[in-house]
Amino acid sequence: MTVPTLSEPEATTPDEQSGAPSPERTESVPARILRALLTQRIVLLAVLVVAVVVYFILLGANGYLTANYDFDYMSAALINAVPLALLGFAELIVILSGRGGIDLSVGAIVSLAGMIFGFAYGQWGWPLWLAILITMVVGAALGLVNGILVAYIGFPALIATLATYYAYKSLAVVINNQRPISTRPIQNLYDSTARSVELPLIGSWIPNVPKGIFLFLLPTLVVVWLLLAHTTYGRRAYAIGTNDVAARWSAIGVRPTRAAAYTLSGAISGLVAVVTVGQFASARPDAGVSGNGMALPAITIAVLGGVAITGGIGRVSGIVLATLLIVWMNAGIRLAFEGNAGPQNQLLALGVLLVFAALLNGFALRRYGGAG
Amino acid sequence: MSVDVAERETPPSGPPETTRRRHRVLAPPVTGQEIVLIGVLAALWAILAFATPAFFTPSSIQPLVASVAPIALIGIGMTVVIITGGIDVSVGAAIAVCSVITAKLILVQAGQSLPVALLVSIVVGGLLGLLNGVLIAYGRVHAIIITFGTANIFLWISLKIFNSSTVNNIPDTLAPLGNGAAGRTLGIPNSFVITVVLAAMAWFYLRHTAGGRHFYAIGGDQLAAQLAGVKVRQRILAAYLLTGLLVGLASTFVVAQGSNLGQNVGNGKELAVIAAVVIGGTSITGGRGSVLGTVLGALLVQTVASGVTQLGWRSELSDLFVGVAIIIAVGADLIRERARSKR
Amino acid sequence: MAADERPDVLSEDLMTTASTGDGTAGGSAPLAQDQRSGEAHLERASGTATAEPRTTRLHMSDIAKRFGAVRAIRHADMTVDVGRVLAVVGENGAGKSTLIKILSGAVIADTGTITYEGRQVSIRSTSDAMALGIATVYQEPQLFRELTVTENIFMGREIRKGGRIDWPAQTQKVVDLLALLELPPRYATAVVGDLSIAEQQQVSIAKALAGDANILILDEPSAILTDAEIEVLFRVVRRLTESGVSVIYISHRLDELFRIAHDVLVMRDGRTIGTYPIEELSVRKVVELMVGGILTDTKHERKIDPETQPRLELAGLGRRGEYQDVNVVVRPGEIVGLFGLVGSGVSEIADSIYGIDHADSGQILLDGRSVAPRSPLHAQRLGIGLLPADRKQQGMFSFQSIMFNISVGHLTLLSKLRVWVDRVRERKVAQDMITRLAVKTPSENQPIGAMSGGNAQKVVLARQLVERPDVLVLAEPTQGVDVGAKEEIHRIIHELADAGTAVLVVTSDLPEAIRISDRLQVVRNGTTTVEFGPNATQVDVLAAAAGDVDGHDGRAKGAA
Repeated sequence: MTVPTLSEPEATTPDEQSGAPSPERTESVPARILRALLTQRIVLLAVLVVAVVVYFILLGANGYLTANYDFDYMSAALINAVPLALLGFAELIVILSGRGGIDLSVGAIVSLAGMIFGFAYGQWGWPLWLAILITMVVGAALGLVNGILVAYIGFPALIATLATYYAYKSLAVVINNQRPISTRPIQNLYDSTARSVELPLIGSWIPNVPKGIFLFLLPTLVVVWLLLAHTTYGRRAYAIGTNDVAARWSAIGVRPTRAAAYTLSGAISGLVAVVTVGQFASARPDAGVSGNGMALPAITIAVLGGVAITGGIGRVSGIVLATLLIVWMNAGIRLAFEGNAGPQNQLLALGVLLVFAALLNGFALRRYGGAG
Repeated sequence: MSVDVAERETPPSGPPETTRRRHRVLAPPVTGQEIVLIGVLAALWAILAFATPAFFTPSSIQPLVASVAPIALIGIGMTVVIITGGIDVSVGAAIAVCSVITAKLILVQAGQSLPVALLVSIVVGGLLGLLNGVLIAYGRVHAIIITFGTANIFLWISLKIFNSSTVNNIPDTLAPLGNGAAGRTLGIPNSFVITVVLAAMAWFYLRHTAGGRHFYAIGGDQLAAQLAGVKVRQRILAAYLLTGLLVGLASTFVVAQGSNLGQNVGNGKELAVIAAVVIGGTSITGGRGSVLGTVLGALLVQTVASGVTQLGWRSELSDLFVGVAIIIAVGADLIRERARSKR
Repeated sequence: MAADERPDVLSEDLMTTASTGDGTAGGSAPLAQDQRSGEAHLERASGTATAEPRTTRLHMSDIAKRFGAVRAIRHADMTVDVGRVLAVVGENGAGKSTLIKILSGAVIADTGTITYEGRQVSIRSTSDAMALGIATVYQEPQLFRELTVTENIFMGREIRKGGRIDWPAQTQKVVDLLALLELPPRYATAVVGDLSIAEQQQVSIAKALAGDANILILDEPSAILTDAEIEVLFRVVRRLTESGVSVIYISHRLDELFRIAHDVLVMRDGRTIGTYPIEELSVRKVVELMVGGILTDTKHERKIDPETQPRLELAGLGRRGEYQDVNVVVRPGEIVGLFGLVGSGVSEIADSIYGIDHADSGQILLDGRSVAPRSPLHAQRLGIGLLPADRKQQGMFSFQSIMFNISVGHLTLLSKLRVWVDRVRERKVAQDMITRLAVKTPSENQPIGAMSGGNAQKVVLARQLVERPDVLVLAEPTQGVDVGAKEEIHRIIHELADAGTAVLVVTSDLPEAIRISDRLQVVRNGTTTVEFGPNATQVDVLAAAAGDVDGHDGRAKGAA
């Protein structure tokens, strides 16, 4: 609830201006740069990505790293970017749709859909395209359950996806009695989906790139970007995330739009299941939930990427840049520290980055009246 | 005056004698949700007792009750946090920090006594909670994001201390808090008793002190609470600090339960705690909830887990039931809310 | 309660009594209650005139306040006396809300002094005001819905006994307070969310009183109360004043003032016109003071053939609890105004036309055909557009661009194959609208949240105009809009009507309602009442809406 208003507002008084300074006020260049950094997340991320890469290249040049932090290495590290960015897109769509939107169940959907994929491709011998299709459909159906719970029944998203997280997680294990599926077709998947390849034509000048980037990441990136930026659905999603009351008054079907967001998240998670099975050459029942699960990094990517937790704000470019930042930073950390210290420090870096990004959001909001 | 002659709508307030009669001073101590939970628990126990005679034996009830203790204990803090409208997903990682410090540094390496271990664990937990509290209360950022971040940081701290190896040969200094015979008094695990006592204290505090009621106000309408003079920031800080302290205590229970401590201790526990709180009837949007419900919720979750094992089903099925329980519990709550607002 | 028995208004009755001027109770049945309070007023009036000396509790003088370029208050003085009810009246935009906000500490005056019991004080925050004993009860109860009445009343100032809350003591105090408000003791432990909105308001009053308020501000309290509850409220107010509390009563319902107020402070155009003892006033007089001189506006004369089939007709429309027996006719090219005060049910009627809510009785007819809009999308397909009343909550997507805000209502139209947004068309439409509605902006990409009220309103209006609607309902079209933009919006409305749209303007802004309407209907107590033609005067309309309804103008009986 906001500050109480009296019976009727001033009819002839325009609204009080917010605290934001008027843009016509001339700003010095440094001040303008600072404002861009603080309010335009894309700018900040791009700067950070460059800074991180330069930092590690320098470290490598001065012999602090156990191996070369060069473009080959950076390119190979991109294999981790595929599932991360994809789930980042999934969270982007869901968080964007507002009303406390979040999806804690993505990792569990990855596990369960992964097992389905394992059956379809690894055991029943379906053609790959069909297996992928059915996996995505299953993922979408699992996501639709979330969508109905949140949009039609009115569960808070945190609760609904927490519940489905538990449910799907257990189903993934039970469905094949806790055994992974690693039959021959599955094992061959690594070669066909995950391995790094030399690009045609320009391949001799640039490092090999993991296939997953082209097979999964780029197409999904394009689809999600087009969806959000160019389709009527995308507009509706931004609308309900910005103000779902006004969306209703604008003749937008709030509930179907919101339910669709969770369905899309499920479908993308289904695709990530395929990616993961390919990367591990095995359909594992705990694929998406082992360790800390996949939901946490995905949400971290989204928040880092500038998605507002309250909805209505978020862009694909932010997710991509945030993913690159995390992946290349992690890659560098792995080289900078020996043994287990590497993965551990990745955790620290991620945590600090997240807190920093969140505080920055809050600060920028107060100072400039809104993030770009 | 003509007004006095006017027809009165309601009977005049009673003479002093009437008001001295005991009015019910507060909303009833046990809500509908909790009554339902008690009923479900009772039914569940009855069914399990019928299906597996082994269920009601001490060797099955005692571990169950002991396993409830850490979840319910942290749940007390989580209940307060959620009542204020926040959330803390870092408790799992915080358990890792407190338990590894206690097990490795205090017990194995320094060979200290139980009181010392207890104190250290609680203090460490408190510091972790304090960090969360400061960032959330004064940083004015959404709790879920901050605690996602601190979860990572805490995990890093714990892994650093673990140094890539399981902690082995933990002395049994903490046995009075564990699952074994030394951990029981009159057959009831001490950890559970401590939990129940603290839960009762928390219940009392939340219900009968101004500070306790202020948590509800903050969750109901933070701005209105502030205008009413509630010290919002301090209260929010206190909620996370409390959770941290309880994590510290609960970690000693965890350490006490074995002679080894693996690096994945605490993994996923935050979700189990949140599940218990939510099943217990606390609203995730804040302003409403009770510790009693949380304890019952934790009991339910653990009963399901234990029952699944006893019945010889796959242990992962308990997760499925937890998921379903969350849906039913929150769904029932939603229905009740809708019925109320239609009145 | 006799108040329920007040007869319904019939247009003719009102017209005749209005033109009579003095409006003393004609043939209609004398109403026992009014008579009694009339006598009470007489007693009080005579008592005041002769015996009781007034003690001033608080005095505000030379107050001025501007928000940006607009002067909300040019010059205001207010005197609040011990044990008296001061009614503050004024049209929308007259400045009374700002004045009250200054008193309650929500807004700080630019100039002026405030003295409290003789000494000068400064009120710079709500806590300053509360410390002086100034308590405000807003229309929207600011309560914690999950907590009990007792907890709400004592939040932040709990009575403690050795660390814990002293429930019996608190409950006792609450029971006493409830008794004052004629609520039964069991309410003390009722959860606020379970209470009706009227009961919640009474709890708000109790809360204000619990803080030992000696100036109680009631903002439009009767808007949500039934007549019986209003009676209770008035009894409470009288008890309070008898014990010395000063009450400031803001209301549009002028007839009520004659039952409860001692003095009336009239504001107009940011100035306090004066404070008058109630005995010197009648409803008409108050309205005349509020409205000022006769406005000579060049009215845009529009000739509508009354034989034309109405495009929109509401026939006996009703929705339980909100409005009933509503009859409105709007012909193509006509602008019909619906004027009603806060709480009259007028905005709920608009909601039903647009499919946000559904009427449960009566019919909505579109070109003679009965329709039942199920949702805004359905209404849009039927050719009905609606500009929502609450721009911020219901109209604006605040951090999105102007272009977004305009096209969001017509995504399928502005797209290819219903899926692909046609950015070129979208941009063009936005630019056209910006030009046509004279929106002051450097580009269609500017976020709407940074714009002034008037400009933002134009954008939200533009959204309704993309597909020229057959029927356009405008709810509070110029609320929070500066004078210049207001003119422009009115011009746009006229253009729309000239082009053939049937326009229904639902507003609580009286001058606007009169200026813009070809025909104006007053909504009161949930039903359509008097209809005025293009030559209505503000005084007549306001009198009809505010209470000059049953043949007498509320003047104290004895003074006739």
